[in-house]
Order: sequence, then C-alpha cells, then structure tokens
Amino acid sequence: MYQYDEIDETLVRERVAEFRDQVKRRITGELSEDAFKPLRLQNGVYLQLHAYMLRVAIPYGTLSADQMQALGEIARDYDRGYGHFTTRQNIQYNWPRLVDIPDILDKLAGVGMHAIQTSGNCVRNTTTDPYAGAAADEVADPRPWCELIRQWSTFHPEFSFLPRKFKIAVVASKADRAAIQVHDIGLRLKTNAAGALGFEVFAGGGQGRTPRLAVKLNDYVIAEDLLAYITAILRVYNLAGRRDNKYKARIKILVEETGPEAFTAEVEAEFAKLQGGDLTLPAEEIARVSNFFTPPPVETRGFDLKAQSQAFQIWAERSVKAHKTEGWASVLISLKPVGKVPGDATAEQIFAMAEIARQYGLNELRVTKEQNIVLPHIPQADLPAVYEALRAANLHADNGGLVTDIISCPGLDYCNLANARSIPIAQAISNRLSETGLDREAGELTLNISGCINACGHHHIANIGLLGVDKRGEEFYQLTLGGAANENAAIGRIVGPGLSGEQVPQAIEDVVRTFIAHRQDGESFNTTLARIGLDPFKEAVYAH
Amino acid sequence: MRIDLEHRPALDLDTAEGVNEANIHVRLEGSVDWERVRALAPRVERFDIHFPKFADGRGFSIAARLREDIKFQGEVSASGHLIPDQARMLTRVGFDSVAPNSNPEDPAWKKGLTTFSEVYQPSNDRRSTALEKRTLAAKQALVDSLNKRLRGAPADEILREATRLFKGRIATLSSFGAEAGVSLHLVSQVAPDTPVLFLDTERHFDKTLKYRDQLSEHLGLTNIVNILPDADEAAEDDSDNRLWQRDTDACCDLRKVRPLDRALKGYDALITGRKRFHSATRMSLPPFELLDGVIRVNPLIDWDRDQVLSYFEEHDIPEHPMKAEGYPSIGCWPCTQPVAEGEDIRAGRWAGSEKTECGIHFSAKSKVA
Repeated sequence: MYQYDEIDETLVRERVAEFRDQVKRRITGELSEDAFKPLRLQNGVYLQLHAYMLRVAIPYGTLSADQMQALGEIARDYDRGYGHFTTRQNIQYNWPRLVDIPDILDKLAGVGMHAIQTSGNCVRNTTTDPYAGAAADEVADPRPWCELIRQWSTFHPEFSFLPRKFKIAVVASKADRAAIQVHDIGLRLKTNAAGALGFEVFAGGGQGRTPRLAVKLNDYVIAEDLLAYITAILRVYNLAGRRDNKYKARIKILVEETGPEAFTAEVEAEFAKLQGGDLTLPAEEIARVSNFFTPPPVETRGFDLKAQSQAFQIWAERSVKAHKTEGWASVLISLKPVGKVPGDATAEQIFAMAEIARQYGLNELRVTKEQNIVLPHIPQADLPAVYEALRAANLHADNGGLVTDIISCPGLDYCNLANARSIPIAQAISNRLSETGLDREAGELTLNISGCINACGHHHIANIGLLGVDKRGEEFYQLTLGGAANENAAIGRIVGPGLSGEQVPQAIEDVVRTFIAHRQDGESFNTTLARIGLDPFKEAVYAH
Repeated sequence: MRIDLEHRPALDLDTAEGVNEANIHVRLEGSVDWERVRALAPRVERFDIHFPKFADGRGFSIAARLREDIKFQGEVSASGHLIPDQARMLTRVGFDSVAPNSNPEDPAWKKGLTTFSEVYQPSNDRRSTALEKRTLAAKQALVDSLNKRLRGAPADEILREATRLFKGRIATLSSFGAEAGVSLHLVSQVAPDTPVLFLDTERHFDKTLKYRDQLSEHLGLTNIVNILPDADEAAEDDSDNRLWQRDTDACCDLRKVRPLDRALKGYDALITGRKRFHSATRMSLPPFELLDGVIRVNPLIDWDRDQVLSYFEEHDIPEHPMKAEGYPSIGCWPCTQPVAEGEDIRAGRWAGSEKTECGIHFSAKSKVA
C-alpha cells in the first residue's frame, strides 16, 4: 500500500488547518451558509435532509487495517455507530456535527486519509478494480497509476472549478470490474508489442439523467504520458464544457455535442502541446510509487475445501475468489445481509474487518463499487478461520454477486434530491427473493436502485434497474432491464409504466422467474434478454 | 500575486482589434477565439480575464493557455466574482494580479496564497513540485551510493557500471580536444554505440573538426551527434558573429550551454572527460554528480597528466594536431591560446580574463541571470 511521505502529509495537514479555520468562521457567523457552501463542498461536506454528511475518500478503494480501524472509531465517536460505503469506493457518515468535522479530518490525517475533493465540481476519487494486485488476469497492478492520478488531481490549480464533477476509473484487465465505460475518463492498462505499459483511453461515459457509454479516444497512450493526456482532456473540457445548464455540463454531453471524432482531435492537439513537458512521469517516481504495491509471496500451507462444513462451502462459493499468487485467495464480504441497509456497516463490524485484515490479510482491505468489502490477500489455509471471524461479526452473508447483492443509494430517507425511498425497496426485494430461494437459483445477476434520476444507485447499468420517480407526490419506480457495468457495458431499457412501491417485489420476482424459465445453459441475464427480447418480461411483470 | 483593490478597465477583443496602438489592456471572458488572441498578443500589455461567477473555472485554463501556448509574457490579471480560496489557484496557473469584485480587503486573500507549502502539479508559477523533489531525491540517493561504491575505481569500471545502469539514456560529451582520445577510447571499448555529443559552436578550429572525424573513425564510434546553436537564437544574439568579442559568457551560453541543455532532455546521464588536475575548480569532483537533474559521470576524475600521456601511447591513439603546437586544452578559436611550459593546462582558455569554464558544467541555478 502507498505510504504518505512528508510532502503528502504536509498537504493533508495544511488542508485540515484551513478547513478548521473555515468551520470556525461559519460557526461564529463570520461566514454565511452561502459563503461556506463552496468551501465545504470541495471537502466532502454536504448539507443533507437532517444534518451535514461527510464523505471520506478511500483512494481507489484501498484501505489498511489501521485506516479501517479509524473509520470505525469515527462511526462510533462522531456518528450514530455506523458508516455507509459508497459506489465510488468511499465511505459516508450521515450524522456528524459540523463542529466535530475538523477533529474527524485530523483523525483521518493521522492515518493518511482525507475528504479532499469528495464533492464539488472537481476531479473526484479515482476508482479501480477491488481485486487489483490480486487478480490473475491483470496486466499490472493499476493502483500505482491511481495514486499518481490522485496526487496530480489534488488541489489542481486549473481543474478545481470544472463545469461539473469529474470521475476517473482505471482497470488493468480485459474484464472490467470498475465500470470504466460509464466514467468521465476510463483507462485500461495494457502493454504494447514491445511490452511497455500504456493506457487505452475512453471519455464521455456517465449515468445520471443522460446515461452514455464512453467513446475511445486513443488505443494506446504510453504510461509516462498519462498525466499529459488526461490534462489535455480536462483542459478541453474545462474550456468548452457547457456551463449554462447543470444537467448538460458533464463531459459526456460535450463529447456528444462536439462529436467523438472532433472531440478526440481537440484532445490530441492539446496533448501534442503537452507531451514531453513537465507532466511526463519520471521513471524514478513511477518506480517509487509502484514499489508500494507488491504481491504477496507464495503460500505453502495447504487447504482442502471438501473437508469444510457445508455452510462454509456455500459461503465460499459466493465469497472466495481466485488469487494470482499460489496458495492465496481474495474474500468478498457482502454488506447486503438480507433485509438490511445496503452498504452500511456498524462500528463493531468495521473493527472486526480491520482485525481480520490485521490477523490474516496482510493488513489490507478494499471497498467495492457494489458497496461491499474485499479482503484481497488471505492465505487459503486461513479461510475457515476468516469465515468464523466474519460469522462472529455477522458479516458472513453469502449472497455476493447474487440479485440480493443490491446497490442502492440512500434515497428519500436521507437525501434531499431523492424522489423516492430506495432502502426499504431494496430490503423488501431482498426479503422476497431470498425467501423464495430465487436469488441462489438465478446465480450472477445485478439489481441496482436509484431514488432519483441522478442515478447514484447505478440503476442504468444493472441487469435489473429501478429508478424512483415522483408522480404527483407519490413514489413510483421505473423498471429497466439489460444494463451492464462490465466489459460489455450497456444502458438498461425501460420496460413499461412505473410501478408502485408495493408492486415492486412481485415485479422483480416475475423478472427473475422469467429469466430462469428462458435461460439456456449458463447464459447471463443480458444474453437471454438479447435472445428473447423485452416482451416476455413485460408480459410477466404487467400480468399482475 | 498582487491583490488589487480597484479593477482597472480593459478593452474587449473587438474594440482592441480596432485600436491601432501598442501596450493595450484587453479583457477576455467565456469562450475565447484563440487565433484572434494570438494575433493580438504582441500589442497587449495586460490581459484581464473576467470570471462571471467563481464557479466558472474557464479563466484558469484561459490563463494557462495564454502562458503556455501563446507564451504571453505580459501581465495577466483576474477580475470579477472570485473567492479568496481561489487565490492559490490563480497564482499557480499564471495570474499576476487579481481584482475581486467584492471584499478585496478580506485578509483571507493574502492568507490563501500561503495555505499550502507543497504542490503536486507543475504549473506556470514554476514552483518545484513533489514530482521534481522526489525525482531529484531519488537521483541524489543513486549518485551518493555510486560514489560510495566507485570512488577511486578504475575508469573502465566506472564507465561499465554507468553504461549498464543508464542504458539507452546515457551519452558522452566530447570536445574532441587534446585529451578527448582517452575517454573516447574507453567508451569505444565499453559501449561504442554510446552517443557522443559534440557541441559544434561554429567557432572551432578546422583542425578540431578534422580530428573529430578522424578519431571517431579510428575508434569505431558509431554515433556522433553534432549539436549546433539554435539558428533563431544565433541570429538574434550574434547577428554580426562578434559576440565572442563583446561578451564571452553570452557567447558560451548561446553556443554551448543552451544547446547542451536542450540536447540533454533525452538523457539521464552524461559522461565527461573532466579531471581534477585540470584546475582548482575541478579539485573536489567525485566520479558521479547530479547537475540539474542529469547525472554527470566523470570516469577519468583521478587521472593525472602522465596517465593521460601514457594512455595515448599505450593504445596508439591519434593526437589532436594542435597539441604539438603548444595547446594542451583546446576550445573555440577566438578564446584559445597556446600555454607556456609549467602553466596550468587550461591557462590558454579565455586567457587574460577571470573566466575559467564555459558553463556547461555549472548548475542553471548558479548561472548569472
């Protein structure tokens, strides 16, 4: 894992000191809420329905055990005993007091963390594959590049007041576990014929009210030019992105209105001016950052899956993932136990995960965009002990990757933008599908819920998507099918008229049953849908 | 960056284009027509970039483009709706002054300039970035460890280690002067494809140019890179070809220092033929040193005059024809004289002046501005 040097530490400490002063001026009344808003917004502090919300950055979703421990202590000491992991691999606290936030930031700085640029129209946390550094199919660990992007984007003098927020995702394998095609910039690490690392660069993807898949700008940009290339994209966007309409301000609209070819030409022209300049990454810095991310040595202790309990085997089927180093595995911890709030973890659970990582997992954890946690490096021989420790903390949900592993935004229960509640709907669906056993029968299947068109719950890119809408003061849900966030990224299509909250669980059950009835040997949901079309699903849903 | 209490007026682009004057002040806002700005820039004393709302950050990129693409050297000012938290960003991208439309007296403006003592991104304020500091620290650590390991080591061992470590990123600098044969012979033995950079000042003795061709052929060096001064700079600084008479430092700067700086962009390390016995200024040289980000490798640093002479004999290396004429150190013809018996070997360089080095072995930071 990356460790701050003096420079990183200084910057984070100076930002805390600055924010402490800003909060003090707000509390004494020297700053009005209007004047305070732009200041807090670049530091992850939102004003929600009931209170301020603080979003803490978890750079590229990677956490040390000590950092996880600190996140738990913040949940315990400053919130109501829990934290909420987000789809951008961050964590949010929904109940901190404004006056406490500088102390929270101080505590975070102590473990090399911050809330810098977790909100506002700036470059946000860079996300990546939660199995980075452990996945067998990766070209190289993508995280050194994420860290280089983190530093480049932090307090960027030119790109802190963009037309709109800006999100970058990086993957290092053909399989896309970071949804790069629905990001403002998507990067795929690859090698050229000579074996040199570089990036396939996409731009203009996004969700929200105008979901778009990204277009490819360049098939191969050599790795040392990464910052020059993304600077070129940002400069073109900052100068030309729309500022007249908040809903048309994301880069996806600029790419679409300019046209992919013309946009690419502008970026390439800007890149030609920047290439070879001060933004070229020196080999020394690439080596310095890369040296923080090394895979574990081969583990020689043996492990026999068949000798384990049935409960362990059921759990392992959904939760244990292959690792690139012999004798190791990655463990997925589902934060979606049936009927609970997706992505929430209590302080005690957070402590338990930190302790498991410390004891068995090389001190490392990841947050996934599905709002779960991953222990990337667990010796296979320790899997039974890890399972027992997870059970003791009630963290042994065995539904990772199933349809009940629901991504959901906080919805109307917390968010002042939402039209409808998300969490109770997620709970009702998850109860229904697990009671009927349909979740396990269906296998890999994604279901995401957003409480409004801003699409924080990623409903567009789920096999089954639900969008909360307000119809004359009543909560309704629009059903979409066929979305995907992987290497076959797709935007889901609307099935028919909106459903009331009460109708939703039955409708979802109908969709899942239709899928199970029609799928042919091992087909994914989207393959079945492409083959049989929307009609059978539509008929099943609206028959009731 | 200066915080102005009053906003100074400026012409809009249309009006400015109609005014037939120099040193005008021009206001830019929103989407900018860069071709018109480029055409107008030579007549502009100040560009004022207007921010309609603080959240409209186009002005930051406009300033960056003015500095980086247009290479505008005059004043760039910011005006309009700005907040003190933007002070540090304004100064970094290249603004000289700001006239905020409300509360310019707010002490937060001044304070905002010093919030952060480190920066990550290279920008137009030229502050040293984390990237640069770390890279220099890494290179310095490498230099220190190499000196520890190889101080006093034989020249061929130093050279072998350097060409291995910096493969593809290392060059030799040679003047093809009186002693050049030694290091070039060593290079030809260790790595004959190493680029040999020759600073062609256009003021060399003809005999030096001939020797360059003869010696490189003899040694089988396959990669001689002739580096000329920039033609535009030469036309500007030395239009009458008499700069050496007026200002030797400026002449060396034009014909050696700047061309070498440009050529070194492609290299991490540079082999030199410097030796301690040359002069007092070279007495403390280690075999490896870091100069403006490039590692200088001095494999012959411990050699004395006798070693040099016997090396020439032993390996039957052709000598520079002027050596026999009393020139132990050979530079450009206007500034090189023969040296009398017993004098310092470099006494004939810039004889009669205080100058002892051309400057290519000095850090940019020590150069007189």
